[in-house]
Amino acid sequence: MFQELSLMPDLTVADNISIADPPRRFGLIDRKAQRERAEALLARIHCEDVDPRALVRDLSLSRRQMVEIAKALGKDPKLLILDEATSALTSRDVETVYSVLGELKQDGVGMLFISHRMHEVEALCDTLSVFRNGQHIETFAKGARSQNDIVKLMIGRDVSHQFPPKPVRTKPNTPHLVVDNLRWENALNGVSLSVGKGEIVGLGGLDGQGQKELLLALFGVLRGVDGKVGIGGADGLTGSPAEAKSGKNRIALVPEDRKTEGLMLPMSIADNLLAASFDRVSVGPFIDRSKEKQAVADAIKQLQIKINRPEDAVATLSGGNQQKVVIAKWLMTEPEIILLNDPTRGIDVGTKQELYRLMRELADQDRAILFYSTDYAELIGCCDRVAVMYDGRIVTEFSGAAITEEALVSAALNITVPISTSPGVPA
Amino acid sequence: MATLNLPHLKSDDLPIVIAAGFILVILAAGTAYTLSTLGTAPLLTPNYLLTQLQTGAFLGIVACGMMTVILLGHIDLSIPWTMTAAAMMATTIGGPGAIPTGLAIGLIVGLVNGFGVAYLRIPSMIFTLGVDSVMRGLMVAHTGGFAPQDTATDLMRYLAAEKVLGVPVAVFVWAAISIVISAVLARTSFGKAIYATGNREAAAYLSGIRTRWIIVGAFVISGLCAASAGMLLAGYSNKAYQGMGNAYLLPAIAAVVIGGTSILGGRGRFIGTLVGVILIVLLNSVLSIAQMPEAGRQIIYGLVIIVMLLVYGRTTRVTS
Repeated sequence: MFQELSLMPDLTVADNISIADPPRRFGLIDRKAQRERAEALLARIHCEDVDPRALVRDLSLSRRQMVEIAKALGKDPKLLILDEATSALTSRDVETVYSVLGELKQDGVGMLFISHRMHEVEALCDTLSVFRNGQHIETFAKGARSQNDIVKLMIGRDVSHQFPPKPVRTKPNTPHLVVDNLRWENALNGVSLSVGKGEIVGLGGLDGQGQKELLLALFGVLRGVDGKVGIGGADGLTGSPAEAKSGKNRIALVPEDRKTEGLMLPMSIADNLLAASFDRVSVGPFIDRSKEKQAVADAIKQLQIKINRPEDAVATLSGGNQQKVVIAKWLMTEPEIILLNDPTRGIDVGTKQELYRLMRELADQDRAILFYSTDYAELIGCCDRVAVMYDGRIVTEFSGAAITEEALVSAALNITVPISTSPGVPA
Repeated sequence: MATLNLPHLKSDDLPIVIAAGFILVILAAGTAYTLSTLGTAPLLTPNYLLTQLQTGAFLGIVACGMMTVILLGHIDLSIPWTMTAAAMMATTIGGPGAIPTGLAIGLIVGLVNGFGVAYLRIPSMIFTLGVDSVMRGLMVAHTGGFAPQDTATDLMRYLAAEKVLGVPVAVFVWAAISIVISAVLARTSFGKAIYATGNREAAAYLSGIRTRWIIVGAFVISGLCAASAGMLLAGYSNKAYQGMGNAYLLPAIAAVVIGGTSILGGRGRFIGTLVGVILIVLLNSVLSIAQMPEAGRQIIYGLVIIVMLLVYGRTTRVTS
């Protein structure tokens, strides 16, 4: 079963569970048997509340993931591969899954559990294997290595030299981007935040607590956003990315998924680099070839993007270099505010370090950076301040030495509750 | 690309090379046929080739507009009755206002198509088909179902049927429109935005490209091209008539796709569309010279399109 769900949203739960091999009678699908089968499998993972006749589209993300697990169990596997199977589950479901996996273990089913959550690996697994950059690094029994050792194996060297040093602040920055009580549908429930020039502010918290929506709202992508956004004192709430990147706003967004949102993969590296700033290399309506060439060469040099020729399709580059193209594209627009949505996802460690250095350089050039990451180490290492989001609002902010893994994790789980008044039940 | 051993040939160029080669094959086969039956080679005379260009001008202009829309991954099925409506209104108005009236029809149809596709988010295949039907209804209401009695203006006749230095004026019109469209596609930010939007609309939008305007703009170009072709056709036959544009929709799509433009959008060079138009015109002409019966012509015509697309599909999979 996959991290990315492989369910058909417009089919029922029962259809999905039996999609590959539905029970048949006289060659036709036996709907009743199919429904009963779905019920039995769902009961096994304590999901009796899911109606087998419901459409998958109508279920919440965590329910869908449970259906996915039921579907995998339905194949009576000898070997069950779980790729980030628990990433979208509520804590109650996670426990259920743990106990089901325990039962399966008793039944002699082999399981391969892929996760980036250390405590899950600790709780579930007997043998651990560490992979890095598509290479098998080491396999050992649980308990043979300390957590620190494992982390070292994962990144290939000590953690300490990963991040560039943070500057020491004598006085607080003047805020450049000020967000006040921003609301959007269910995802943003009154976000207030400020980012100063030359400052890197991190957005922390569990996945899906409104961080992405906040960045999209600031970039003018979402419709019907309520609240105030001030940029350099002026009103900065925009209606489209075209407005957000131009005029006084000068916002850039490095989106979550570079392959579908950041890049036009079959197009050339040069065209991708210029996608946000063709007007800057044009004379009248026409693109000036020499300016275009110069701009592309500058961008490639600035970010040290490794390419053969600028005319090659951007799809030929490695993940890290593709991400550099996305960032270079935005740097060409000379943004004042840079929104980063998990920019280091799926790129190699070396490029990550380059990006960390680049972020700090950009901040030193007086840009305001808002940086969402799912990796706590990044937030701790890169950010001047970290705002932790929970259930569509910012529950707490840390700065300087107060940014520690413990603080971030407990704030992300909303344990300390310093600002939030409502208890907030996870969806 | 490395697999092709042609270092300077981009994968986008390959269909164009194949199509151009196929044009030579058609000419060679046709000439072999006429040599064996008549003992002459009329296909290689300048006169014959110029006549083909004259015929191709109408299709070529329609294909220019169609290409901008297909590059976005959309399609414009309203072309037949946009041509007819522009031609009919131009002949109805007559005088110096004829051509501006026809262009205005094309502009309006393009704006409506663009609005429906970009803002109402209706799939272009459905929306433009509906617009086509509405236009047909309007024109039937306008003419009462009969061929209108008005004739084309002198300017329309001049542009469509006269010759300058032995070259049909329509060919110059086609060339002028081609130069404009190819410059727009290759050298302006609007053109680059068309490619970007056609490749991945979400990424283009998040790059701050106003993708809705781009879509509307492309449909306007398509409407204007169809209107121009319709008016030229009316000038050529001296009048507008019901269903005059019907024969142009599918060949225009075929020409664009044979020229290497991806029907899914985002890829394709303008020169390919020119080659595609010439290929289709020559294929039709040679098949009729060979006195192939209509049934056989249609079968061969369809097979050529399918086979060429099969060949392109193979090569792009290998190169990308």
